[in-house]
Amino acid sequence: MGPAEIARPAPLHDIPQLIVSTILLGGIYALIAVGLTLIFGVMRVVNFAHGEFLMLAMYVAFWAFSLLRSDPYLTLVVSLPLFFAAGWLSYRAVMRPVIQASHTVQIFTTVGLSIALQNVALVLWTADARFVRTDYYAAIVRLFGAAFNVAQIVAFAIAVAATAALFAFMRWSYTGKLMRATAQDRDASSLMGIDTDRVYAVTWAVGITCVGVAGVLLAPIYPVYPTAGLQFVLIAYVAVVLGGLGDMAGALIAALLVAAVEVVGSYVLGTSWKEMLYLLVFIGILIVRPAGLFGQRGAEALGT
Amino acid sequence: MTAYAPAAVFFAVAGLAPLVVRDAFLLDSLVLILIWGAAAAAWNIAGGYAGQVSLGHSAFFGLGAYAAALCSTRWGISPWIGMVIGALIAMATGFAIGFLSNRLRGPYFVLATIAFSQVLLIGASRWRGFTAGSEGIPVPFHAGFWTLGIADKRVWVWIVLVLAVLVYLVQVYLERSRRGFQLAAVREDEDAALSLGVPARRLKIAAIAVSAAFTAVCGALWAQYVGFVDPAYVFSVDISIKFSLAAIIGGLGTALGPFLGSVLVTTVETYLRAQFGGIEARFVGIYLILYGCALILMVRFAPQGFVGWIGDRLRRRSVAQATS
Amino acid sequence: MSLLSIAGVTKRFGGITANKGISFDVAPGELVGIIGPNGAGKSTLFECISGFHPPDEGEVRLDGARLTGFSPDVVCRCGVARTFQKLRPFQGMSVLDNVMVGALTRTKDVRHARDQARGLLARVGLTEKADSHARTLSTGQRKRLELARALATQPRVLLLDEVTGGVDQRTIPGLVRLVRDLHAGGLTLLVIEHNMRVITAVAQRIVALHLGEVIADGPPEAVARDRKVVEAYLGQAYVQ
Repeated sequence: MGPAEIARPAPLHDIPQLIVSTILLGGIYALIAVGLTLIFGVMRVVNFAHGEFLMLAMYVAFWAFSLLRSDPYLTLVVSLPLFFAAGWLSYRAVMRPVIQASHTVQIFTTVGLSIALQNVALVLWTADARFVRTDYYAAIVRLFGAAFNVAQIVAFAIAVAATAALFAFMRWSYTGKLMRATAQDRDASSLMGIDTDRVYAVTWAVGITCVGVAGVLLAPIYPVYPTAGLQFVLIAYVAVVLGGLGDMAGALIAALLVAAVEVVGSYVLGTSWKEMLYLLVFIGILIVRPAGLFGQRGAEALGT
Repeated sequence: MTAYAPAAVFFAVAGLAPLVVRDAFLLDSLVLILIWGAAAAAWNIAGGYAGQVSLGHSAFFGLGAYAAALCSTRWGISPWIGMVIGALIAMATGFAIGFLSNRLRGPYFVLATIAFSQVLLIGASRWRGFTAGSEGIPVPFHAGFWTLGIADKRVWVWIVLVLAVLVYLVQVYLERSRRGFQLAAVREDEDAALSLGVPARRLKIAAIAVSAAFTAVCGALWAQYVGFVDPAYVFSVDISIKFSLAAIIGGLGTALGPFLGSVLVTTVETYLRAQFGGIEARFVGIYLILYGCALILMVRFAPQGFVGWIGDRLRRRSVAQATS
Repeated sequence: MSLLSIAGVTKRFGGITANKGISFDVAPGELVGIIGPNGAGKSTLFECISGFHPPDEGEVRLDGARLTGFSPDVVCRCGVARTFQKLRPFQGMSVLDNVMVGALTRTKDVRHARDQARGLLARVGLTEKADSHARTLSTGQRKRLELARALATQPRVLLLDEVTGGVDQRTIPGLVRLVRDLHAGGLTLLVIEHNMRVITAVAQRIVALHLGEVIADGPPEAVARDRKVVEAYLGQAYVQ
């Protein structure tokens, strides 16, 4: 079952339903995409393991629910610092040594991380899909002639809050300013005394925290299995490239656009071709305007 | 000429082994080592020599596999011809990908290649009418050389050995020829190479196309050998990663590297499959965990791979001897 | 009859006009110096000529044949070579191999290219370093390598971008001698230079740029005293 199905629990064909579904989905995609684009913007690294951290967060929510009867939204409180720590540690252990290395090295590092994490999940927890079924799962709310799940609304609300918090952090906090400076000019920043290593660690950790939150929010809505991250991260890549790598606001808008394409696409074409649609859109963007709608022209050719 | 001695030894051993070894399991491993080695070497042409790192090479592998399988099952054409057709289609696809992605560098290029291979995966899985969809195509065994219906594993070893040597020689050509020098320059710094008159775009596209063709041939042979084409496997990102992993472990941009890397990668994988395949399928994932860790460690600690490590040791020894 | 003719070259990047209607001709065998304060558009001009950034308006012609719109490798094969301000040797290759890449643009034979490369290394004084890795070279040596590499493509016009930049004082005379020798050999040169002493010593003619436009074009002594040039470099207060 794809997101569009779940967004339409009853077969309503109204425009309001489509709009609402788009917005609900877009909110979560935005959180995932913004984390990914942040990492690229500041560190110039494409995190091929982004989806796997999302998947791990989904499992955290599942196991907390299954073993401790902890409601996912309660688990969120724990998962936030947990994934920040996981991000910090994985930066130190895996990313920091290769931050100055060539693209090739960085690509294979995150790809290696991605396969390793996927298969750790597979070996530990099998490929069986797990479900987090909270009591209020089936509850439906009707508003403006559209129907949606409580879980989706809450997920959306929290995702929006988290994204807003992130934007605020980037805009007004001291660390946020350091991150933006480093994104603009790595060398100048370090010459001015900014501890770029620290900035990278925080950036990576924040990016991982974003998916840490998103994963817990998604667990009550989607099945959890080792390759669950792939479908979401594909969407995130499309949104990130469309919005311009490194552009947070661009990623946000693009995420909504992608959600719209998904909802309308599923409605018109049916869900089995949904992935093909994303991929073709993705390839199209890469060929025609790789810098995205808002990115700097030629950014992809500079490779920096 | 002594630089090529290790390769000569490697291929000689591989060629002579079937005369001495009787064990079917070992011969089977040898066939797989050579096929994956050839595929890794084909990948190396684009990824190692031209610097076009792609994680979508399974697209070409799958095209070759499907071409051979469809030719023999649907139209009764010899899989040898199917292999050639597959290679041509893959080459054309390689041209297209190279041409369209020309401006893309680094991670952008990787993402594009992954996307291409996944489009093919989904297409093959859904196009029931043509490709039998996600169930895949079983390749029937019709005894005979022309139909590649060969039961004797020793003959298989020699067939894939020919392919392996061929791809090895293409890489050697790249190391010594004018085009090879130019390609190395493109790999190091494309803009600087352009300023010196190197036709970077043409070379990159050609490298990808040649790489694609050989990868497809590997796919075609593999399909005939294994007897089954499963779209989820032949077009998977995992396979693309396997090619690159073998090349990296052995030595990115070296001619023998991919084959040495394949020895390690294939052996570990075959061993783990044999150990765990029966009990619970999920434990087979262990080899993938090892792949992942190997990638992370190799690119960080030994970017020159096994071949580079040996080369380093030899150089240090000769320096030590010279100074003593 | 001019060898290289630059006519009305204009290049914009977003809101900035880096080159505004730049026009001048270069006669065969001439050594023209290009000067101007930072941001004047000197490197951008080189990018436009060499094909890295096609100009938005205007044309560049070599011996009457249009160069604009062609990719850098085509421009090089036509006979215009360049060096970079930020040195870009092929790090993983030896010094000899670096020069060979340039030589292989003119010859298909690897052995022949190797001989030519050795000859060029001798000419720039890098023979002992032939088999060393390019990354082991000092800045001055790298400059010579860039030069040798570009020369290997047998250019008719050579664009030199800041050949003395970032090099310590002692190596400058050697580099200047090299440039002089190349010029004496008949090569046409366009040289971007910040060091006024160097450029006035070697150039027959200087083109001064400021904020993307040509503000002076003539013999070194005249340009050095030109009112607009002084104003551009030192500000209004210094103009007599």
